[in-house]
Amino acid sequence: MSPLIRLALIATTFAAGAACAQDKVTFATNWKAQAAHGGFYQAVADGTYKKYGLDVTIQQGGPQVNNRPLLPAGRIDFLMTGNLLHSFDNVKNGVPTVVVSAIFQKDPQALIAHPGQGYENFDKLKDAPLALIAKDGQFSWWQWLKVTHGFKDEVLKPYNYNLGPFLANPKAIQQGYSVAEPIYVENQGKFKPVVHLLADHGFSTYSTLIEARADTVKSKPDLVQRFVDASALGWVNYLYGDRKAAAALMIKDNPEMTEAEMEASVALMKQQGIVDSGEALAGGIGAMSQARIQDFYGQMVKAGLYKAGEVDLSKVATLQFVNKKVGLDVKAKLGAK
Amino acid sequence: MPPVITLEHIEKRFDSGLLALNDVSLQVDATEFVSLLGPSGCGKSTVLRLAAGLETASAGQVHSPALSTQAVADTAFVFQDATLMPWASVFDNVWLPLRLAGAPRAQATERIHAALQSVGLKDFAQAFPSELSGGMKMRASIARALVTQPRVLLMDEPFAALDEFTRQKLNDDLLHWWQARPLAVLFVTHSVFEAVYLSQRVMVMGARPGRVITEVAIDEPYPRSRAFRTSRSYVEACAEISQALESAQAPN
Amino acid sequence: MQRLSPALTLLALLAAWEALVRLAHIPHYTLPAPSLVLQTLWSNFGSLAGSWWFTLKITFGALLLACAGGVLIAAVFALSRRVEVALFPIAVMLQVTPIVAVAPLILIYVESTTAALLLCAWIVAFFPILSNTVIGLRAADAHLRDLFRLYRATPLQRLRLLLVPSALPYFVAGLKISGGLSLIGAVTAEMVAGAAGRETGLASRILEASFRTETPKMFAALTLLVLTGVIIFWGFNALSRALLGRWHAVESTRFD
Repeated sequence: MSPLIRLALIATTFAAGAACAQDKVTFATNWKAQAAHGGFYQAVADGTYKKYGLDVTIQQGGPQVNNRPLLPAGRIDFLMTGNLLHSFDNVKNGVPTVVVSAIFQKDPQALIAHPGQGYENFDKLKDAPLALIAKDGQFSWWQWLKVTHGFKDEVLKPYNYNLGPFLANPKAIQQGYSVAEPIYVENQGKFKPVVHLLADHGFSTYSTLIEARADTVKSKPDLVQRFVDASALGWVNYLYGDRKAAAALMIKDNPEMTEAEMEASVALMKQQGIVDSGEALAGGIGAMSQARIQDFYGQMVKAGLYKAGEVDLSKVATLQFVNKKVGLDVKAKLGAK
Repeated sequence: MPPVITLEHIEKRFDSGLLALNDVSLQVDATEFVSLLGPSGCGKSTVLRLAAGLETASAGQVHSPALSTQAVADTAFVFQDATLMPWASVFDNVWLPLRLAGAPRAQATERIHAALQSVGLKDFAQAFPSELSGGMKMRASIARALVTQPRVLLMDEPFAALDEFTRQKLNDDLLHWWQARPLAVLFVTHSVFEAVYLSQRVMVMGARPGRVITEVAIDEPYPRSRAFRTSRSYVEACAEISQALESAQAPN
Repeated sequence: MQRLSPALTLLALLAAWEALVRLAHIPHYTLPAPSLVLQTLWSNFGSLAGSWWFTLKITFGALLLACAGGVLIAAVFALSRRVEVALFPIAVMLQVTPIVAVAPLILIYVESTTAALLLCAWIVAFFPILSNTVIGLRAADAHLRDLFRLYRATPLQRLRLLLVPSALPYFVAGLKISGGLSLIGAVTAEMVAGAAGRETGLASRILEASFRTETPKMFAALTLLVLTGVIIFWGFNALSRALLGRWHAVESTRFD
């Protein structure tokens, strides 16, 4: 699309947006505000959502908070989920939600351990005497770890989002986001932990997915498209542009976060290719393919989490809103590769 | 007859500093029926508790079977409330003094039944206190008192909470039980009529501080009938006692 | 008719619930109908039963320990006023601290998860037994105490024949309260702490179902919890009647 036509489109959208009332949208995340949510806060802070006619409220998740039931109940409009297992479960249980965009091409879910304890080898992790796993993981990817990599329930203890038990016990391992916890561990424990990305060992799901109700997709596809596009742009600007306003917003929501931690996290996201890699390089941030979803489902069936044919994969995600190269030109303009 | 209870110049001061009894002396002989009569606060209950060994005197001497190291079962006490154990049957309640002395149930059965028989509760051995009337509960309490065949029976206003009919019936029964055994009774009451009807001697007490004002002898022979309550000697005795009580109360 | 009325009321409420769900087309992931809940309970009973048994073990284990601990500490308090005055505030502090706040801490310090759960449930359940038994041990009638002194009862006789029976109604009242509280404590502790695999009770199952959006299963597990609470309530009422029925006002049905 030529720059002139694009400019005209933006102008009319802007005018249209200014002329009619903005659509009120609530988006619930799966954790307290952190760099892994940065793109969404960026779109709020720099007015991208507003430009797309959306008045977005970001509702944080947090420890012990389970925002998931709010989506089918109609209390929120869009939901951030951590991996495709949640979507498989929903479809299996007849809950009418669908994935509309996959912001992360790689799941940053990881297991971290103390250095020098023999955990440099991923296969040694399952022998740890203590694995600190939170509820969300316990009922999703931990089950996969048990079947595929031989981890045992006996060593699992609930992770209460306190680094204390992990720091105190050199033989303990715990869950974390590869772009977050290692930074905190280094700050508090003064050592660099060993990090094993589950994605490197077969957990090939997309992550930070945007979920919507099936009937929202049917009755308000334009709204969904705008939210998906604006979010993708938000991520491009967050990763490659000026993040200061987004950082300020996230600190407002989560006062314990610091700008230094968020910067370190962004660096890791780029380094590990969490967001902008694979299919996103060609299709724009949020890209998805049915092939990859099918492949991941096949892996989970092999792991015994689901039975073949138990989940109607056509209902899991819809590709109608992504793979449109949204944001690629902005990224080029910002000088990123 | 030698006295079985003696109080000599008793002074009783409570921890609060209150002087409950001031120079109280009295004695009760082995088969006497003596009443302690006085208004509230005159220390009559305290006298009884001293005789039972439940209180100690601040000054003076107390001689009583309850204070000797043997003779545990020689003293019995009946309170104003029947003081029965609500979780136990009448039988088990009467068994209590024997049980505490080490007598197993089988060994004590006969004496318990005899005691229940004499108070008229033979058919209520398995009843529970909550199933009895006030008068019956008091009878059970007296049966428990008598089951150890005591030498001394101390009674602290036992019939005060009962209605008039029951009270008078129990008065007669009490005299009957007392007469059937070698028993000294020290009976505390605030009813002049009751004191005169029951006793051989009435010790009249005054309050603040507790002291004996006077002693009135009732010469009417036993058994005493209801007719005694309307006789001349009864009325005169009551008048004399009432008079003594009034002058004790009048400010000096 | 009067004895049937609670059952009939319950059936009527269930029928109304079923009707509401069907007529208003409420989706099963928002509010499942009773028929669906019962169906789910039936088909999952095998696995839910194991968790039910675990929750029962924690509940009654904690209750037993609460009885033992409560009665023991109460006896100590009853014997020494000084000890009571010194330690009672600590007991009160344990009572008022919300278990949801304490459970994560306990889990950090206690190795075995089962022990941690028992401890949490115990903290919630022991106080009513303690405070009621202390009162009960002091509640022995003063005149009865005089009588026992008069008849030279030994301390053991006093304890056995006077203090324990006097304290029994108070203890049973505390027990009735603690019965329900042990269940609440066990469930709360597990909700906050919990574990995985074999050592899981109904609370963990409810959480699991919640995270997997299996709402009918949540309700099925909840039904078992409610059933447990009701059984505890009835059980202790029956116990109270058996122990106190004949002689204590609490159980008397006479109103004169």
